[in-house]
Amino acid sequence: MHRHVFFASFVVLLAFGLVLWQQNRKPEPIGITPTLTGQVEYCLTCHDDLPVISQSHPVETFGCVLCHGGESFALTADLAHSTMRGGANPSDLSVVETSCGGEKCHSGTPQVNRDHIQRVTTSLQATYAGAIAQMRYAFGAQPDLVARMGIFAIDGLAAFNGTAESSPVLQAFASNCLSCHLTSQPIPGDEYNRWGGCSACHSPAPRDDGTLVHKLTIAIPYTQCDKCHNRGNYSLVDVQFHTRTDSPTDRLHDYYQPIAEFTRCEWTLECVDCHTRQEAMGDGHIVSSKKEIQYVRCKTCHGTLDALPLTYTISNEDDLALRMAFLNPVLDLEVGETILMTDKGEQLWNIRIISGAGESAPTYELFSKASGERYTFKPVMGSGCQQESDQQDARFCHECHATQR
Amino acid sequence: MRPSFYDHLHPPTIPAAQARWRYTLGLGGLAVFMSLVVGLTGILVTFFYIPTPEQAAKSVQELTYLVPFGWLVRNLHYWSAQLLVLVVTLHLLRVVFTGAYLPPRRLNYLLGLSLLVICLLMDFTGYVLRWDEGVHWALVAGTNLVRSIPRIGEGLYAALVGGSQVGAVTLIRFYAWHLFGLMLVLVAIGIWHIFRVRRDGGIAIPPPGLRPDPERIPRKELSRREGLAMLWASVVLVSLAILIPAPLAPGIQQGAASANENLAPWFFLWVQQLLKLGDPFIFGVLIPLGALLLLAFVPYINPRQHSPAELGRWFPPSGLKIQVMVAILTGVIILLTFIALLH
Repeated sequence: MHRHVFFASFVVLLAFGLVLWQQNRKPEPIGITPTLTGQVEYCLTCHDDLPVISQSHPVETFGCVLCHGGESFALTADLAHSTMRGGANPSDLSVVETSCGGEKCHSGTPQVNRDHIQRVTTSLQATYAGAIAQMRYAFGAQPDLVARMGIFAIDGLAAFNGTAESSPVLQAFASNCLSCHLTSQPIPGDEYNRWGGCSACHSPAPRDDGTLVHKLTIAIPYTQCDKCHNRGNYSLVDVQFHTRTDSPTDRLHDYYQPIAEFTRCEWTLECVDCHTRQEAMGDGHIVSSKKEIQYVRCKTCHGTLDALPLTYTISNEDDLALRMAFLNPVLDLEVGETILMTDKGEQLWNIRIISGAGESAPTYELFSKASGERYTFKPVMGSGCQQESDQQDARFCHECHATQR
Repeated sequence: MRPSFYDHLHPPTIPAAQARWRYTLGLGGLAVFMSLVVGLTGILVTFFYIPTPEQAAKSVQELTYLVPFGWLVRNLHYWSAQLLVLVVTLHLLRVVFTGAYLPPRRLNYLLGLSLLVICLLMDFTGYVLRWDEGVHWALVAGTNLVRSIPRIGEGLYAALVGGSQVGAVTLIRFYAWHLFGLMLVLVAIGIWHIFRVRRDGGIAIPPPGLRPDPERIPRKELSRREGLAMLWASVVLVSLAILIPAPLAPGIQQGAASANENLAPWFFLWVQQLLKLGDPFIFGVLIPLGALLLLAFVPYINPRQHSPAELGRWFPPSGLKIQVMVAILTGVIILLTFIALLH
């Protein structure tokens, strides 16, 4: 009996030894109390090595849970991640209002340019309303080209439902051709790999090995845009999207459609160097076609023979231009400097006037938003350009300035 | 020297037959040990648990992940509670299958049965206190069962839940029941139960003249056996605490629908399965209460037919009908539990 008791005691001691070992195996919790929430969270215990996602989202201020959700005290991955919003992507449009919204964040007022969520969710990139309207008009489902339906119901748009359409082409369109909007899953393949929601443009896609890149950026390279654009053609013959089979490397010769023409700035600059926030993310209104929202043209930066491009002089520290230059410091902007402006009043914060007074025509410098590379250019006014003042579409400029491909 | 409290609980000698493992399986003693562990760890858990809907699940996570050895305390609390239900149930079966419920032990049998019921309620209230998605369905379904009782259901529901639906008041009520209401009754009846064991002549064996084995064991030997059982029980508890953590899930969000996964705690899975058969009052309330009533009647079914000489052994022939009845009942409950688990 004594031996039994000793043996059992020994096993109990062994069990408690295992308890100590187990306790020592547990990671030392790393807590952080973000100033915006005042609630301690322990995500950094495992994610201490993650880079800060962007300059405007310092972890000391935001923490992790405010945007990502999740269980802030849990130190096992399954539980900690179980309530994350949108999985690894809190900007997924189904959860973006909770993750990124709020009046002080990205669903604030248009006046301070903080209504991103409202604009994006009504934009063509999200609703696909233009293509849907064109298809429904072409196949007799609606009398005109006005947008009536979107991928999801929003702001007067009904949800497009392929099964409710009588035309077989529209049914096929619904099942085969809705792969590019912000709420769709990307087409399989590295060339198409991207996130949904805001991160479709603002975050790099997961790496080839499946690891994720913790980054939000406004320095968006053209390769990011090309995850959706220039990756194939829709065919009305079989109502399919025919993906490209090649992986282009030479931007001028390989990337774009063979019949298209481009001037130098169109294949050397990033897409976002010219195309504005409203063009990409919408202006808050439902539009029926890309033409209604994409308004930047050659003259926006180069002006015409009769007029210089519009300019804006930065007047205070809270100007949008300064905020953007803070987020993406490709140039040092200061109050008092003059930058270009679109005819809708959008600030082209990466293009400013550098020439002094007295020169016949000003000189502008543009800093590419992704590479930071500097380019200088002159306006049309005062040049030998022979354009007609009423011919400002790109095709007219291409007549002289298109690059031989 | 005057006898200590410990001596009071342990007579100088007891018949060896009363302390034979093969007869008692040590289940009564194990139940006491599990109760002590669950009580002690419960006190420690109380220092960290916050009984509000917003904080409850979070405080459990804090205890589990951030408090040094908190995981051990919680896992021990969980496992000792589960093993307590198991041990008490097996204890009941042992008593039924050895005929130990006969007079003069009828009252103590009923006390023991009520302890099982209280243990189940303690376990269920403790389960609900997690206030996370893992318990959401059981909380809503369990409290709605009360509602199904004709006439008094709505009133009982309001008293239990503290309003028209499950919310913050429900949590504090379950907390109060778990810590005070049920706990006080459990301790009181538990002590009464142990007292009655002594008062009824110890563990049921034949009277001295009819005993095949007259051997007695001293207090020291009894203590040693108890100690051995406690040591092995500790090994089991600590091993379970290390290997299988107590369940955790994200907290219940206010206004959220209950989780899709319909899973009652394991000891009520059979009721969950019964509920699929039809009317919740009949299958969720009447039938389980009927089963309990059936068990309560066990000592009153033909008590005179039993001979005292049959005590102290398994499956005495005179108790055959009752043994078959309880075996069938147990079999059905186990079967229903497995069906619920498989689905």
